Amino acid sequence: MSVTGSLTLTHIQAFLLFAAVISVAFGYLGRRQPKDRLKYILWSFFLFLVVGIGIGWAMYPFSR
Amino acid sequence: MAEELIDHTIEETTQHAQQAPEVLNEHRAWAIGIAGWLVPGLGHALQRMWGRAGVVFLAVGLLVITGARMKGNVFTSKGNDAFDTLGYVADLGTGSFYLAARALEVNGADVSHAGGDYGTRFLATAGVLNLLAALHAFEAARGRKA
Repeated sequence: MSVTGSLTLTHIQAFLLFAAVISVAFGYLGRRQPKDRLKYILWSFFLFLVVGIGIGWAMYPFSR
Repeated sequence: MAEELIDHTIEETTQHAQQAPEVLNEHRAWAIGIAGWLVPGLGHALQRMWGRAGVVFLAVGLLVITGARMKGNVFTSKGNDAFDTLGYVADLGTGSFYLAARALEVNGADVSHAGGDYGTRFLATAGVLNLLAALHAFEAARGRKA
């Protein structure tokens, strides 16, 4: 797989990738113990989804 | 008089001896912070925090590669407005990976589609995340709980 070619992601794919990468990084930087890290990663990922989808729906009435 | 002078000298020498490691530690912390900024994860690797080092390197690298491949805007110092300058500062946060992003984006940015716009955010986030990680490594080197 080349790293120089262009990449097309759907909105949801980009959103999920972003949330996953940032959640893992936050989990590792913010917590020491593996169990705490896992909990933090899952919680952070869940909040990314809720807030992202929530903002998406909140903007829906103004999108047309 | 002589005794006082000796006592004073001993006291001063002791103080210097106590301060020297602190100054050295402070310099080391700055070096670690700057290393962490230049090469994502290096600040943690120098402190043998291998898990954090690996995750920071991979996370910043993945965001930079994805952002550049999505044709996100890699800002330069020749920005037109304050937002371009802010974007440049954020992109510079990736340290040496900024050059990689420039090299990857041989055909230039394309922010006429949502993908390119997302790419721009990915690149900026990579920079800010790396700055956060470098600050974390700096604080850890200074002895703060990390």
